Amino acid sequence: MNVLRRFARLVLATLREISDENAYQRHLAAHGRQHSGPEWRRFSEERLRAKYARAKCC
Amino acid sequence: MKLLTYLLWGAIAAAAAFCLGGVALIRGEHINSIWLVLAAACTYITAYRFYGRFIAARVMALDDRRATPGERLRNGHDFEPTNKWILLGHHFAAIAGPGPLVGPVLAAQFGYLPGTLWIIIGAVLGGAVQDFVILFASMRRDGKSLGKMAREEIGKVGGFIALVTVLIIMVILLAVVGLVVVNALKGSAWGTFTIAATMPIAIFMGLYLRYWRPGKVLECSAIGFLLVLAGIFGGRSVAASASLAPVFTLSAMALAIGIIVYGFLASALPVWLLLAPRDYLSTFVKLGVVLMLAIGILIVRPELQLPAFTRFVDGTGPIFAGKIFPFCFITIACGAVSGFHSLISSGTTPKMIAKEWHAVPVGYGSMLMESFVAIMAMIAACVLQPGVYFAVNSPAGIVGATPAAAVATISNWGFPVTTATMAQLASDVGEKTLFFRTGGAPSLALGMAHIFARTSGGAVIGFWYHFAIMFEALFILTIIDAGTRVGRFMLQDLLSHVAPPLGRMMWMPGVIVTSAMVVAAWGYFLIQGVRDPLGGINSLWPLFGISNQLLATIALCVATTILLKMHGARYAWITFAPLVWLVTVTFTAGWQKILSPLPALGFLAQADKLAAGAADAATATLIFNARLDAAICGLLMVLVAVILADSARVWVGILRGTADAHVREAPFVQSRLQAEEL
Repeated sequence: MNVLRRFARLVLATLREISDENAYQRHLAAHGRQHSGPEWRRFSEERLRAKYARAKCC
Repeated sequence: MKLLTYLLWGAIAAAAAFCLGGVALIRGEHINSIWLVLAAACTYITAYRFYGRFIAARVMALDDRRATPGERLRNGHDFEPTNKWILLGHHFAAIAGPGPLVGPVLAAQFGYLPGTLWIIIGAVLGGAVQDFVILFASMRRDGKSLGKMAREEIGKVGGFIALVTVLIIMVILLAVVGLVVVNALKGSAWGTFTIAATMPIAIFMGLYLRYWRPGKVLECSAIGFLLVLAGIFGGRSVAASASLAPVFTLSAMALAIGIIVYGFLASALPVWLLLAPRDYLSTFVKLGVVLMLAIGILIVRPELQLPAFTRFVDGTGPIFAGKIFPFCFITIACGAVSGFHSLISSGTTPKMIAKEWHAVPVGYGSMLMESFVAIMAMIAACVLQPGVYFAVNSPAGIVGATPAAAVATISNWGFPVTTATMAQLASDVGEKTLFFRTGGAPSLALGMAHIFARTSGGAVIGFWYHFAIMFEALFILTIIDAGTRVGRFMLQDLLSHVAPPLGRMMWMPGVIVTSAMVVAAWGYFLIQGVRDPLGGINSLWPLFGISNQLLATIALCVATTILLKMHGARYAWITFAPLVWLVTVTFTAGWQKILSPLPALGFLAQADKLAAGAADAATATLIFNARLDAAICGLLMVLVAVILADSARVWVGILRGTADAHVREAPFVQSRLQAEEL
């Protein structure tokens, strides 16, 4: 059961990484800020600008 | 305990050899797909344990005491040490595109054996090595890109050529994947509605994320996925509606124009509105469907209907012309060796590695997983009856313009199929016809639907077919919009040297002009593919395969230079051997595509044949296109030949001691990262 729980946590963490939710939490922690709409917009604009300047794989 | 370990690894290696032998040697009967699954899985596990770790320990001398860029340059954004399994999933999601799905389906025209062996052996000795070495090199150089490493390790010429080559590859890639979508959706009201519905869904998701529930990407993607499923069900009703079906039943040209307009809008619109939400959704759908396919194959264990070899090994194939060597090896690029991966391995991933040894599962392991996806695509294509497979994938220009002519031609080849069988199949999946749907996506969707429907008791094959089409089209369109944007940035970067205002990323006239230029470039090739009487894939997919493998050649030149600087000639064979193979394959394929006297194969021979026929405007365009394809192919070969010559000059200098053999790694810094931090 523990193994399953750990596996589920790992899958969820991977999905959070792919979805940039983890990156957002790191951003909040690094800058000592609280979550808010404007803060998310500031973060995602910067993140997405960098993300879509790189080639996407075929 | 040690003896048990030896026995275990001996058993896995023996199983790999036995299954590979079975796949290669069983003739005259249908083999079960589980042979391919076991052959691939056991080979990957053995290669990972022994070859991957050999490269890591002996060649790279990975050291977990050495701080990675993620730790030293940690900034909470790009540079962030990340759990290795999370990073493995992240990297795999980034490298897995439509290439490993479409390439094997097309290469199945040779039979299942050539493609399967190339996928397994190519990935283990070539693709995974390339990804791994480039990831290692970038990780030791503060996460530098392939272009920067090429400039530093080989010279300025190498760096510039890498940039230009990537831009050309992007143009060809976007055109060819656009053509795959066009051929999958032409004449299909159900499919077109489903894909059209993803656009308002993506915009809804963009607004939801930005204004209503900021930051809730997973929640938003789950809602988006449910809406897409509703779109698939809605598509069935639209296709059955007398008033709506004609609106969504579009010709290939109308779809091509629609995709071109979409590409332009997606490149010029704010990224949060359309591109990013689609990307999140398509990534999750992609991972989920790949997992479903793996489970489905294990449950159903279907038998392969295509033979090990078909008669088309002689180069007369209807899907694309050319013999097994070299064309099997450029048709399957992603899944075996993909140059594009080197851009990902020198992009985000090296900045997120926490410990150096994590590069083994992330760099080497991810490529093996992608290779396994290619094996599953091969299985999905080969479970179809051969006659059905060729009826779906062959262009009208080869097999005849009517269903009756097509089944007669295909049956004469020794692959019996009837118009009744095809009509029943089309009716089962809710389509008017499945003839002449070149590009690989529809036949892959048929194979996947066959597997999924058997998993769910044989029901709702129409739903699964359109689910598979939605899955393929969704992430292909994401590549088109993201690729157009990246192409725009590259073009702005190049043009800024001539006209500085064009380099400003937020200057709207510059954005519009450069977006239009990039869209016009790939749109031209897309229209060319739609007009091509041989279906377009015959010309464009080999061109894409050659260009992708040429990018791998550049990556392997950089990797070989780095290994030579580290160890002299001792371990350079690790990247030099796949490099020699790729150079042989791509230059042979390029040479044949330009100069073969066979009109179905050689671009110039095709132009000459057309020139000898009717002299109308349409023919003149086809002649120009064939010559343009030859010129692009020649240009790519010249560019890579220059990099090869430049690299060879550096290698000889290193071995003679006359060139700078200084290893440009970041200095050693002791890692202070604790295991519990990950």
